[in-house]
Amino acid sequence: MTSHYNALARDAFVPQTGRIVEVADMTAKDRYFRLELEKPLGHHPGQFVMASLLGIGEAPISISCGPRKDNVLEVVIRQIGRVTRVIHTLKPGDELGIRGPYGSGFDLESFYGKDVVFVAGGLGLAPLRSLITPIVAGAKRFRQLTLISGCRNPAEELFRDQLKEWANAGVNVIRLVDGTENMPWEFGVGLVTDPIPNLKIYPENTVVALCGPPVMYKFVIAALSAKKVSYDNIYVDLERRMKCGVGKCGHCQINHVYCCQEGPVFRFSNLADLPEALR
Amino acid sequence: MSYYLATRESIVNWIKELALENQVYFPQKHGKVSYRFTQVGSDSDIQFACYVPTVVPPIKLLIPARDELLQFKKNSEGKCEVSAPLDTSFRIIAGVRPCDLKGIFLMDLFFRDGVSDAYYLTRRENTAIIAYSCVSACAPGAFCAAVDSLHHTEGADIFITPRAGEDLLIETKTELGKKLAAGTDWQRCHENAVRNEAASTPKPRQFGRTFPVAVPEITKIVAGKYQSPVWEKHVVRCFSCGTCNLVCPTCYCFDVTDDLNLDVASGNRTRTWDGCMLCQFAMVAGGHNFRNEPAARQRHRVNRKFVYLPEKYGQGAVCVGCGRCGRQCTTHIDIYDIVSDLIKEGGADDVTL
Repeated sequence: MTSHYNALARDAFVPQTGRIVEVADMTAKDRYFRLELEKPLGHHPGQFVMASLLGIGEAPISISCGPRKDNVLEVVIRQIGRVTRVIHTLKPGDELGIRGPYGSGFDLESFYGKDVVFVAGGLGLAPLRSLITPIVAGAKRFRQLTLISGCRNPAEELFRDQLKEWANAGVNVIRLVDGTENMPWEFGVGLVTDPIPNLKIYPENTVVALCGPPVMYKFVIAALSAKKVSYDNIYVDLERRMKCGVGKCGHCQINHVYCCQEGPVFRFSNLADLPEALR
Repeated sequence: MSYYLATRESIVNWIKELALENQVYFPQKHGKVSYRFTQVGSDSDIQFACYVPTVVPPIKLLIPARDELLQFKKNSEGKCEVSAPLDTSFRIIAGVRPCDLKGIFLMDLFFRDGVSDAYYLTRRENTAIIAYSCVSACAPGAFCAAVDSLHHTEGADIFITPRAGEDLLIETKTELGKKLAAGTDWQRCHENAVRNEAASTPKPRQFGRTFPVAVPEITKIVAGKYQSPVWEKHVVRCFSCGTCNLVCPTCYCFDVTDDLNLDVASGNRTRTWDGCMLCQFAMVAGGHNFRNEPAARQRHRVNRKFVYLPEKYGQGAVCVGCGRCGRQCTTHIDIYDIVSDLIKEGGADDVTL
């Protein structure tokens, strides 16, 4: 029995080694990391990993790349806490521990044959990219693709080159900032809710995926409701404190639901009995 | 399953004998008023009868305040060797009361669910539990009968029941229990006789504090009280210190921290007790707190005990009515009072987003 438990404990908490092969600054505080893992992660869009530095700690980090068969993992990490501050000092060749993938993620098949609208606020584009990438790559399976990406100012925009690529690939990419703050900016100024009333939306044939700061959700969902998009067709990607990733430590609980198990991606209709979800 | 009769003295001697070769824990007086589950030695004062709930419940012997998840060490090539140490030592916890036994029984379910928790289950499978039935309410704060934990027996290896007469009734419930009882001079007795007797074991008509409604009804009521003013009423006295979490037999949430040794090459990753009443429990990096107000945290705690976990596991209330949280609270905030107020309030509010 003990050997069985040894394996269980290792599987649950021992990270695999990720070797950093590329580091790139995306903004002043957000940095892109490309890692090579010991074995393929085998993740779904919208799942997350625990990024781990033994002796420093662990932090839940959204996966930024689409599902892939090789050993590559892409993440964007904001320098915001104790662990991420140290992760930001890592260079190509350094190691970062990775546990996971965890959580439920997006159900990609439910997007087939639909118009897809992505709404990303700030760093929310990083996890949504894990969904946008496979959808753009398999665009024939989907109908019109729209991405509304908003951030505070031009300097905080992520994945600028990729936004251009997606636009060239036929995605209706709407790039917005809250304000230009005297920086050069050739795109729109406004909130991510602003373009929604003018979108051509066929409610019964549209799926929406949202990721951004908590304050964004209510307004975006209200704007989508005005366009008759049902709650069943709106996916939200939520953030919570997480320590274990395996439904035990309690930090990520949203009412009775463990976000690390049933989330972090939820159909909005499934949040009806979770009043804590969008606080 | 076998039944025996034995004197109090013979049972105490048996426990002391077990303690010669095993780690045996028993609730013993610590200071003037409080009890703790302490390791039994030759001079230990072991008494089944006089008891108030220990400050910390016995389950905490299985989920220690600091529980090492990983040990790591950089080898000479700079590679990190990581191991997950499991505590395979054997221990006996004796004198466990039905409320705490229900707590352990529930924890078994929680830690087996989903990704099984190897650390807890390894300790649990190397632990024998000798439980002792209560004949009267242990303390004014107890409400075990009101939450259906007074008659809980599942999870014990040996269950001891005091009788009206001199002898106590001993039931060995598992193979491990049988093994521990082997070699004793206890008098074997018949199951049918025991059943008749169990029914006539004297227990006070009103055992501890009671609720006016049964547990399933309480779950319904608490679930319907998301916006009740009761959540503000008691919490005005709350310091968010988390004591109620730490002394609860069914609280198991944890934090994870890393410790680096002075050699900067080795250390450990350890989980420590955490509590949902602490301010930063649901706070994410950057400072957003999903349960910023103490009332939201208290509502979460009470819901976990009476709604969320009961609905998930189907084993009734997850509050076992030991009364520890109310007793240890600096300002006497008692989950019994909160639930009583919710019941009194009647009706239900609409939960809206």
